[in-house]
Amino acid sequence: MDDGSTDSDPVTAGESSILDTLGEDVIRIVSPVSLCMLLVVLLVSSLSSTNDLSSSVSSLFLSSTTTPTSFSSLNLLLLGSDSTWEEIKSALVTALSFVVVVTLLTFLLVLLFYFRCTNFLRIYMGISSLFVLSFLGGFIFLLLISHFKIPIDPFTFAILLFNLSVVGVFAVFMPKFPISMNQGYLVAIGVLTAYWFTMLPEWTTWALLIAMSLYDLAAVLLPIGPLRLLVELAMSRNEEIPALVYEARPVDPQPGDRVRVWRERTDVRIEATENSTNSANVQTVQETRLAVSEEITAPLIEAFPQTGDRHLGTEEVEDGIGLGSSGAIKLGLGDFIFYSVLVGRAAMYDYMTVYACYLAIMAGLGVTLLLLAVYRKALPALPVSIMLGVVFYLLTRVLLEVFVVQCSSNLLMF
Amino acid sequence: MEGRDDQPTADVESGARLRPSAVRSRGAVTWPSVDGPLGVSWEEAETSARRFFFWGFAFLPLLWAVNCFYFWPVLVSKASPSSSPHFNRIRSYVVWSSIGFVIFAVLLTAWALTFAIGGEHLFGPMWKDLVMYNLADKLQLTGLM
Repeated sequence: MDDGSTDSDPVTAGESSILDTLGEDVIRIVSPVSLCMLLVVLLVSSLSSTNDLSSSVSSLFLSSTTTPTSFSSLNLLLLGSDSTWEEIKSALVTALSFVVVVTLLTFLLVLLFYFRCTNFLRIYMGISSLFVLSFLGGFIFLLLISHFKIPIDPFTFAILLFNLSVVGVFAVFMPKFPISMNQGYLVAIGVLTAYWFTMLPEWTTWALLIAMSLYDLAAVLLPIGPLRLLVELAMSRNEEIPALVYEARPVDPQPGDRVRVWRERTDVRIEATENSTNSANVQTVQETRLAVSEEITAPLIEAFPQTGDRHLGTEEVEDGIGLGSSGAIKLGLGDFIFYSVLVGRAAMYDYMTVYACYLAIMAGLGVTLLLLAVYRKALPALPVSIMLGVVFYLLTRVLLEVFVVQCSSNLLMF
Repeated sequence: MEGRDDQPTADVESGARLRPSAVRSRGAVTWPSVDGPLGVSWEEAETSARRFFFWGFAFLPLLWAVNCFYFWPVLVSKASPSSSPHFNRIRSYVVWSSIGFVIFAVLLTAWALTFAIGGEHLFGPMWKDLVMYNLADKLQLTGLM
């Protein structure tokens, strides 16, 4: 129709520059991460106090100094200097054994992938997702019911749980499922697993977070790292790695070959499992927990960038953050989980630390996305965010809180 | 720049040239699923709709709801001469799924509300034993994790 005008403005007509879609891309990955964190914070704050839901939600928005830091004072009471050292020692041992188990399992995954046992991996991951959704989901559902005294009968409960978990397994595994439901269920799995992790003792959680971010850094960037091997294997074979990966919807869907690319990707979509919780439980929990935790998946796999070239159609799923072949950003579910664990643990202290840690994690995610755009290869998404989050948590707890409390109590600010 | 004026690919309706990612154009539905161009093709859509419909009978009414949600464009638009031959078959599966889901939802809501609101007046002391939080305490279900 208007050939003259379309020809004169090359950027707006045929090609779209990266700036057109960058904001949308970032929003589409930041929103689910934020949602996951919000849900974990809500769960933690509503289930660990005697408040009812409305007051816990309202206190989220009020100034955090109005809720006296009951958790922190309780912590101070419980921890003497001796027991602190004991706790730290056991926390370090737990975190170390956790990392060792995860490394071994990831190497096992690489081995299985090398021998092309992808069906076995798929089935295994399906079973673990089913366990997470039904057992963990049921457990948390029961906690909520008991806490808020919801008058539900066992028949309705069973039907709801059964439906939600089975449809959830279909949603994350079957290629032909609504994308929004797939994404929603991935976030749900992240929330459930993250909540479960926040039930670990405090020092253990922090040691675990730091250890996992160091492991992530090593596994993705070192040449002998298992996740890097996995990526290279998948790249050489042009296959997808089995993993639970959150893939943001591509911003500019085109019909035709993009449909093909998406389907190629989703057909082979599978999951990787890191049975991280095993070692954590060895120290602290009984046999029953061990048996169930075998199946817990903390997949730390994310996609791999092959941007621009749609014809490659490769979806390397890797630890860290990457780009799908349609240019959509992929973030592994393990990152969702550990971000939410950090924020959930911060919520157990006070809401001020929640805000600080949330901002730190988002800043870290932004930095990681920036690095992704620069380096265009699979990157670990945990280290930057977790390190920033931990630093901000400590600074807030030690410095900021005193300042804010003083200002508020003297009616100076806030 | 000339590509814009070329004939679009075969599976896109002529009216869709204006907005290729639009699900609906000029009365006929371009893409069967709610995901649009990222979703399934018409043939796969029929297989999916049938599979969702039959699996829903295994005490999974949520699959019927998913069926309706996924093929919403098919559900809300009418058959037109230019739509795909699979349209009618998919539509029948989706319509039956929606009927099934609505019936199930009504029944379950009715039962759940009766249980919750009726409480002890209706069921007597048995209510206390049946309600989930007491049952969970009695069976120590929350101690498993």
